[in-house]
Amino acid sequence: MRASVLQENLAHGLSIVSRAVSPRSTLPVLANILVATDEGRLRLSATNLELGITCWIGAKIHEEGSTTVPARTFTDLVGTLSESHVDMALDVRTQTLNLRCGASNNDLKCIDSQEFPPISVEDLSDGLEINVADLKEMIHQVAFAASTDEARPILTGVLIKINNDKITMAAADGFRLSVRYAPLSSSASLPISAVIPARALSELARIVEDGDQTVTMTMPPGRGRVVFQLQNAELVSQLIEGSFPDYEQIIPHSYETRAVLSTSAFLKACKQAEIFAREGSRIARLKIEPGDELEPGTVEIQGQSEETGSSENVVDATIEGTKLLIAFNVGFLREVLDVINTPNVALETSADTSPGVIRPVEAEGEHGEFIHVIMPMHLGS
Amino acid sequence: MPIHILPPEVASQIAAGEVVERPASVVKELVENSLDAGSNSVTITVEDAGKRLIEVADDGCGIPIDQLSLAVERHATNKLDGPEDLHCIASLGFRGEALASIGSVARLTLTSRTTDTDLGANLQVEGGHASRVLPLGSPAGTVVRVENLFYNVPARLKFLKHDQTERRAIDKLVTRYSLAYPLVRFSLHQDGRLALQTSGNGNRREILGTIYGVEIARQLIEVISEDDWIQVLGFTSPTSLTRSSRRELTFFVNGRPVKDAALSAAVIKAYHTLLMVNRYPITILFLKMPPEMVDVNVHPTKAEVRFREPDRIFSSVQRAVRRALLAHSPVPNLEFQPHWSDGAAWGEPHTIDPTWGWRDIENQRKEGGAIPEGSSPTPGSQSPPITKSGLGAQPAPLLRPVGQVASTYLVAEGPDGLYLIDQHAAHERVLFERVMKQRDSSIPSQILLQPVAIDLPPYETRLLQEQLDILGKIGFQVELFGHNSFLVRAVPAILENHDPAASLRLLVEDFEEDETPLQAELEARIIARICKRAAIKAGKNLSPEEQRALLTDLEACQSPRTCPHGRPTMIHLSVDLLERQFGRRGSR
Ligand SMILES: Nc1ncnc2c1ncn2[C@@H]1O[C@H](COP(=O)(O)OP(=O)(O)OP(=O)(O)O)[C@@H](O)[C@H]1O
Ligand SMILES: [Mg+2]
Repeated sequence: MRASVLQENLAHGLSIVSRAVSPRSTLPVLANILVATDEGRLRLSATNLELGITCWIGAKIHEEGSTTVPARTFTDLVGTLSESHVDMALDVRTQTLNLRCGASNNDLKCIDSQEFPPISVEDLSDGLEINVADLKEMIHQVAFAASTDEARPILTGVLIKINNDKITMAAADGFRLSVRYAPLSSSASLPISAVIPARALSELARIVEDGDQTVTMTMPPGRGRVVFQLQNAELVSQLIEGSFPDYEQIIPHSYETRAVLSTSAFLKACKQAEIFAREGSRIARLKIEPGDELEPGTVEIQGQSEETGSSENVVDATIEGTKLLIAFNVGFLREVLDVINTPNVALETSADTSPGVIRPVEAEGEHGEFIHVIMPMHLGS
Repeated sequence: MPIHILPPEVASQIAAGEVVERPASVVKELVENSLDAGSNSVTITVEDAGKRLIEVADDGCGIPIDQLSLAVERHATNKLDGPEDLHCIASLGFRGEALASIGSVARLTLTSRTTDTDLGANLQVEGGHASRVLPLGSPAGTVVRVENLFYNVPARLKFLKHDQTERRAIDKLVTRYSLAYPLVRFSLHQDGRLALQTSGNGNRREILGTIYGVEIARQLIEVISEDDWIQVLGFTSPTSLTRSSRRELTFFVNGRPVKDAALSAAVIKAYHTLLMVNRYPITILFLKMPPEMVDVNVHPTKAEVRFREPDRIFSSVQRAVRRALLAHSPVPNLEFQPHWSDGAAWGEPHTIDPTWGWRDIENQRKEGGAIPEGSSPTPGSQSPPITKSGLGAQPAPLLRPVGQVASTYLVAEGPDGLYLIDQHAAHERVLFERVMKQRDSSIPSQILLQPVAIDLPPYETRLLQEQLDILGKIGFQVELFGHNSFLVRAVPAILENHDPAASLRLLVEDFEEDETPLQAELEARIIARICKRAAIKAGKNLSPEEQRALLTDLEACQSPRTCPHGRPTMIHLSVDLLERQFGRRGSR
């Protein structure tokens, strides 16, 4: 293999795929990045067997070939190259990759590409096109609610459901649930329901680029995998098996109290309460107080700890229904308010032990596409 | 009082005391009789923890009418002939004592019919006096009813343990027998509740599932080993599955449950270097050997035996278990090789109690308050209490984080040299003090999106039921939900990142029988276990900020130098020691 690339392109390609490298695997080749010529471009791939990322960069190919290069050394080296042109040449017999850039001349010990597990190249017809901006926002609003506890694999994933021309994503960690709907431009031929690791989706959101308008999602039947194709990159992830909790049943359909308040003021109040609740219980107490003819309603957000003291914030709100005291994990509140884009947000609940529902307050006529449910905390007797 | 021969009733009550200590012993004797009779099915009914009723019905060979009254006589048995038989006992019974003993401390009704006759018969014994034998129609097999146990021995009645404890002992006993005899269908009802039911299809793993839960049963490793004269069959846990006591080491020798410290030691030895200190496996072994190799006639309730060639047996057991373990998975070696040439050179006297258990904390509490007491002391206004061990309640030195080693230990610089901090133990301490402080007001609890159901084996069900109140106080909201299952509705906030069902299961596994009656102490003990689970695990990478935060939190603790279980959180290598080790200064 012989090829010339721009340092900038190579560095960028490596930064995209290196997140899938698994340095501590028992399979040494998984700590490497596959470099292969591919129809006039250079293909870079890394995989940890659960997640695989591939990226194509422009290159001048002088001789076809492939090898796998130790990721760490490769990335560190390329990051320090100062000239723009990089020439690579592989000695197939010794599996040594020579990398020249200006006055810098380096030899890297590689592992034969035969040992690298095949990533995809499956039949990718029948894919579904999704708008990138939508997808990024959906992932942003949903993935954080997935669990990080490996003991319950299904909850570390995000459920993706596609029905006709609607796509739904949902994630839940046992205490909260995030659900987001979006319309699809093209409708799917068959309904799809699959659970994708939240981590894979976060990586996907990270690697999409400005130039990407749409991403094509494919789930080859019976393979237990999903493939996302972008213009110059591809992400393959293992699906998580098992049945996802019936989230629709968790979303309450009515409320006793509804507070509408400024998202940014609510978020700021939560951040302040969190400073005090950081050690200890992480509780934010909310006092929802309806207004009268003279005074507006208010939501008081309070955080406290034995060591640091306490903080109180009163935010004006439009309250429908009865007065209520309720407590939530302040981190959960902050995380959801962080991903709400509308100026106002609604908090709906029925009692201090029933779920709190948080929705963006959309402009007149639009209907809710995002719903978040948080279970309250209570203080033991 | 002159010496005289005791009246027969008194003598027989004394003898009975040896055989029948508690309701579970009655169940044991009756079940063994049913098994000796070759039954396929044994049905046990217990009321009021065995004090009102214990009934065991079987479909075994039955007792011929003309021998019915002999069966309840002392030293009457059909299992032994002459003295030579005593050396090779193949049946569970051999003394001819059980029925007679039971009959002298309870009302015993014996009903039986052999398969070859149409008419059965029935007889009653009360206070040692047998009624006449009455013929009557009955199903083939034997039914023994024992009512009003110990009615005439009030002292014994008074010293019985808590009803719950007695019920649990019966549950446990029957489950053990059902494991040893998987081809026999067992069912046990206590106060109308079905506590155990086995199918008799020979599948031991299925029965293990009812005892330990399906998940654990699946993990247990099968032990199969046989040489010319001893067979070792059974199950043992992988090294990842352990318990805090030897309680789950169970042995059967020729179908007989046996307590034997040396057998336990053999199993523990098989795990040598594979388990952490004070962790024990779950092991159930069935040993089979020629009857003459084992003397079963050494203990009044037959709970102990004597082996003819103990060493040979122990090494067979050890080898069998070790082999099963190693075949199961290659295991890491935990053996500690001290690297410092001079063992006594630790920066300060490190008296670590090797039995790190609750004892430690109890002692420290008595001696100086390792556990924060109800009212938190005003900070700074008191000199730190010093415990006897010199550890515990000493304040932590000011520490500057240097880095992390093996994703498990933090390295820090202190006023006098180097400190190694165990991140898990340190975090355990931090969480423990935090929760103990919250306990004064209330411990926050996080409600679950959907309640989670967990199924528990019968005796764990009882253990959990007894502790529901306390669990509620510390943030678990759990309720009984039908037969042997529970619904978890909320968990303590610090367990937020853990599977609620698994957390509760772990807690219950560590519940001991007869937990201390002191409520506050029990609460602290359970809180310590919860913190252990919630604490950062060894092997987790910590960012520099996280390292700093942990050290700061630890410094703020009242007893920063030990974890709530009494293990050290930090090791100190003084500048002096370093200098000597590097040969900068001669050792003194
Ligand atoms: N369920 C039963 N089915 C058939 N025979 C029984 C049953 N229970 C008792 N017997 C008969 O009654 C006899 C006396 O029983 P008992 O339990 O008192 O003595 P044992 O079993 O011989 O010895 P041990 O005192 O060691 O138990 C037994 O030897 C047996 O012949
Ligand atoms: Mg007997």
